[in-house]
Amino acid sequence: MSNIDRRSLVKGSLAAMMAGAAFSRAALAQSSEPILLGVSGPLTGPNAQYGTQWKQGFDLALDEIMAAGGINGRKLAYQFEDSQSDPRQSVAIAQKFVSDPRIVMELGDFSSPASMAASPIYQRGGLVQFGFTNSHPDFTKGGDFMWSTSVSQADEQPLLAAYAVKRLGLKKLAVLHLNTDWGRTSRDYFVKAAKEYGAEIAVTEGYIAEERDFRSTLVRVRDASPDGLILISYYSDGALIARQARQVGLKQVMCAASSVYSPKFIELGGEAVEDVHLGTRYFPQDPRPEVKKFIAGFKAKYGGQEPDAFNAYSYDAMNMAAAVVKIGGTDRRAIRDAFAKVKDVSSVIFGQATFDVESRRVKGAMNAELVVRKGQFALWDGKPT
Amino acid sequence: MSSWLDYTINGLIVGNVYALVAVGLALIFGVSRLINFAQGSIYLVGAYIGWGAVVQLHTPLPLTIIMVAAAAALVGLIIERFGLRPLQNSVRIAPLLATIGISFVLDQLVMLTFSPNPRALPSQLPDVRFQVGGGTIGPLDLLIAGVGITSALLLFVFLRYSKLGWAVRAASQDRDAAMQMGVDVNRVNQAVFGIAAALGGVSGMLVGMYYNQIDTAMSLQATLKGVVAEVVGGAGNVPGAVIGSLLLGLVESYGVAVFGTSYRNLFAFLLLVVVLVLRPNGLFASARQAPPEPLTGTFIAPSRPVRIPRWALAAAAAIFAILPLFPVSFYVLQTLINAWLLGMLALSLTLVAGTMGQVSLGHAALLAIGAYTSALLSLTLNVPVGLAVIGGGLMSAALGTLLISPSFRLRGHYVSIATLAIGEIVSLVILNWESVTRGPIGISGIPPLSLFGYDLVSPTSIYWFSLAVMLVLALLQGRLLTSHLGRSFRAIRDDDIAARAYGLSLNRYKSLAFIFGGFAAGVSGGIAAHLYSYINHETFNTQQSILALTVVILGGLGNVVGAILGSVALVGLPEVFRIAAEYRILIYGIVLLLLVRFRPQGLLGTI
Repeated sequence: MSNIDRRSLVKGSLAAMMAGAAFSRAALAQSSEPILLGVSGPLTGPNAQYGTQWKQGFDLALDEIMAAGGINGRKLAYQFEDSQSDPRQSVAIAQKFVSDPRIVMELGDFSSPASMAASPIYQRGGLVQFGFTNSHPDFTKGGDFMWSTSVSQADEQPLLAAYAVKRLGLKKLAVLHLNTDWGRTSRDYFVKAAKEYGAEIAVTEGYIAEERDFRSTLVRVRDASPDGLILISYYSDGALIARQARQVGLKQVMCAASSVYSPKFIELGGEAVEDVHLGTRYFPQDPRPEVKKFIAGFKAKYGGQEPDAFNAYSYDAMNMAAAVVKIGGTDRRAIRDAFAKVKDVSSVIFGQATFDVESRRVKGAMNAELVVRKGQFALWDGKPT
Repeated sequence: MSSWLDYTINGLIVGNVYALVAVGLALIFGVSRLINFAQGSIYLVGAYIGWGAVVQLHTPLPLTIIMVAAAAALVGLIIERFGLRPLQNSVRIAPLLATIGISFVLDQLVMLTFSPNPRALPSQLPDVRFQVGGGTIGPLDLLIAGVGITSALLLFVFLRYSKLGWAVRAASQDRDAAMQMGVDVNRVNQAVFGIAAALGGVSGMLVGMYYNQIDTAMSLQATLKGVVAEVVGGAGNVPGAVIGSLLLGLVESYGVAVFGTSYRNLFAFLLLVVVLVLRPNGLFASARQAPPEPLTGTFIAPSRPVRIPRWALAAAAAIFAILPLFPVSFYVLQTLINAWLLGMLALSLTLVAGTMGQVSLGHAALLAIGAYTSALLSLTLNVPVGLAVIGGGLMSAALGTLLISPSFRLRGHYVSIATLAIGEIVSLVILNWESVTRGPIGISGIPPLSLFGYDLVSPTSIYWFSLAVMLVLALLQGRLLTSHLGRSFRAIRDDDIAARAYGLSLNRYKSLAFIFGGFAAGVSGGIAAHLYSYINHETFNTQQSILALTVVILGGLGNVVGAILGSVALVGLPEVFRIAAEYRILIYGIVLLLLVRFRPQGLLGTI
C-alpha cells in the first residue's frame, strides 16, 4: 500500500511537472499567445492580503494596457504563483519561471527573505526579478537582473523627517517602528535625517509584526516625554498604535511613514488617527492626470473601493513592466537592458519614472504632505494641529 | 514611579485578553488531555461572525454575543463530532495533528470567504474612559475582564457542583473508569467542546472589538499565547489558566518596561521555560490531578512497520541520483532539493521525537542556528563553505542540545510546549542580538555552496550535493537505530522508568539523540543559507517546525525511510496543488486530516 502510495505520488507529481514544461515549449511557438510575466507573491499565509492587493493593481493596469492595444498588438498576461512569502517556495517558483520559456520577466516577491533567497536563481537564470515592494537596501545588489521601483528608504525617510522637524516644528521625537528589515532600515535613515535637521530622538521602540498590544510600549514613550510620535508602520499596526496612544492619554502630534496611506488606516484607526500627519507618494486629490486616471479606473473596476498604496505599487509595476517589454521584446536579456532605456513612464508614485542605472531603482520620489482631517486624507494646509 | 502602576494595569488588561483563549484551552485539555491547536481558529471564526453581526446586521451587543457564542459552539461541536471523535481510539498524537489540520482548514475558509484584508470591528460600547494612573480604562476593558473572570468562575462551579461537571472531571481522570461507571463520555466531550468553542468565539469577537481590527492571521498568535498562559497556569486547570494569563501579561508588560518593546515575547517564552523547569506541571497543577502521562505507548502507534527491501531502497536512491541526467526541469530539481533539505530536518526530528520520544515543536530553531553559524563563519571568518556547513551542524548539535536539556525532565505534552518556547526564544534572540546576527536586517551576500574550491551554483550540482548529504545522514541514522544505542533510545521511549531501573542514564541518551539530530538539522539549515544567500529571523519560523512534525508523523515515527518519503510528499503536494492557488492550503489541511484519520501510524509505520 505504502509502496504504491509513494510511487504514485512521486511519479504523478513528476509527470505533471514535466508535462507542464513540455506544454509550455509547444505553446511558445505561437506568437498569438500572450506575453507572460511571472509573479511570485503571497496568496495564502500571513501576508496574503498583499497578494490580493497586488492582483487588483495588476488587473487594472492590464485592462488599460489591453485597451490601448496591448504590447505591439500582443496580449500581456501574468501567472501568479503563491509563495506564501516563504523562501523555500519562492526559490522553487524561481526555478519554475526560469525554466519556463514563456515567462519573460518576474515580479515580486513580497518579503525580503522570500525575494532575496530567489535572487541568485533569477540572476544565474538570466531572468529579470522586478521587485516593487523590495526596499531592503541590498535587494538590487543581488545582481544586474534585480530592478526595483520600490522607493529606497534612503530617499523617503529624509522627506518624512523634514515634514516632522522642519515643517511641523517637532524637536523631541519618539520613533516606533516595525522591527523588520524594512522598519529597521527606515528608522535608521529617519533618525539620521531628523538629527541633521536638529531634532532630538528621545526613544526608539521596535515591535514585531504580530504585535497587537502597545500600551506598555506607549508608557515608555510617555516617560521619554517627546513632543512628537513617529510611526514607521503599516496601516494595520499604525492604526492600532494610534488608537492605543490616545487611550493611554498621549496627545502628542503623530507622523507616519507613507506605508500607512490606505483607507484602511482611517477605517481601523477611527477617531484616533484624526490629525495624524503622513507623507505619501500619491493621494487621490493629486491633480496629476496619472493619479486621477488610476483612481477613477480603480473605483470603477472594484465597486467604488478606494485604492491604497499597495494597489498603486502593483499598478505602477505592471505599467512599468509593459513599458519595458515594449522596448525589450520577449528576449530576457533584452528586457534587462530595456530597464536602462525606458524613460519617463507615466506612474502614480513617481509621476514620470526613469531608472537610475547605478542603483537599479527609480529616483526622485515625491512626497505629498498629508494630514487626516474629518476622517479623510487631506493635503496639509500648513496650520499646526 | 506612577508608570509602574500603568505597566501593571496594562499587563493585567492584556492578560485578560490572553485568559479568554487560555480558559477554553484549559477546559479541553482537562477533559481530553489535548492541546487544541484549533482554538485560535475558532477565535478567528468568532471574530468574523461578530463582524457580520455588528457591521451587517447591526445587532445590539448582548444579541451579538449570543449569536457568536451559538455559532462558535456549533463549529466546536462539528469539530468534535467529525474531526476528533473518530480518532478516539487512535494514538495520542493523532488528535493533536488533527487539530492542526482543522486550524488550517478553518483559517483558509475564513480567508477565502472574507479576503485577508483586515477589517474594522467597531466596539458597541460607549467610548468613555476612566482615568487610572497615567492611563485610562474603558468599558470594553472591563467587559473583557468580566467575561474572563466570570467564565472561569462559572466553569469552576460547573465542574465542582453540577452533575455534568462531575462527569467531565471523572472522564478527565480516567476515561475508561468513567465509562464503566456509566458516564457518557462522548456527551461530556461534546459539552466541553461546545463550551470551549463558545468561549473561544466570544473572545475572538471581544478582542477584535478591543483592537477595532480583525484579520485572518490573528489565530496563530492567539493559540500561541493561549497555550503559554495555560501551561504556565497548569494545563487543564481553569482558574490556573486565568492566573497564568494575568502573569503572562504582567511579565510581558514589565519586560517592555525594563528592556524595551522588541524583547516582549522573549520574556513570555522565558517565563514558560522557567515555570516548566521549576514546576513541570505548571504553577497551579493540583496535587490530585492525574500525573502527566509518560510517553509510554501514548504518542507511538503500535504498528508493524513496512519493511522495504534493501534492493528497492538502493534502486530508489539510484533513480534519484541519476534523475538530473534526464531532461527534467530545474523546477523539479529545486523542488526535490527542498525535499532533501526538509528530509534532513525530518531525520533529525524523527530521531528525537520518534525514536527517543521527545516531541519537538521548535525544530526550526536548529535550522536557524545552523544557518546563521554557517553564514557567519563563511562571511566574516572566510571559512570555506564546505567546512562552514559542518560548523553549522556542530553548532546546532552543541547549542541545540544545551538549550533543550532543561526540558529533559519533562514528559508528554510539556516537552513539546517547552521546545516550542525554545524555538521562539532562538528566533527572538536572533532578532535582538544585533552585533552578531545583524538583527532584523538579516545577513545578505552569503557565498554559494562550494566544495574543494568549486562553486556549486547549478541546480544539478546542488541537487546532487544535498541528496548525497541526506543519504549519508540517513545511512548513519539507520546504522544508529539498529545498534545497541538505538535499542537503548527506544527502550527509554517505551518505558523510561524501566529503562532507568535498568541503569540507562536518561539525560545522557537524550543528549546523544539531540546531538545527532541537531547536527543533521544544522547541516540542513547551513545548506539552505548558502542556497538562499539571504537569511533573517523570519526565514526559519514556527510553520517549518510544524511542517517537520507533520512529515515525521506522515512517514512513521522513528522511520528513516518514512522521514524522506514524507518530505518528498509534503514538499511535493503543495507544488502539485500550486494550480489551485488560494485553495491549496485548504486542500493540504484536508489531506492532513484524512491521513491522520486513516493512517495515524504513518505511511511506513513506526519503528
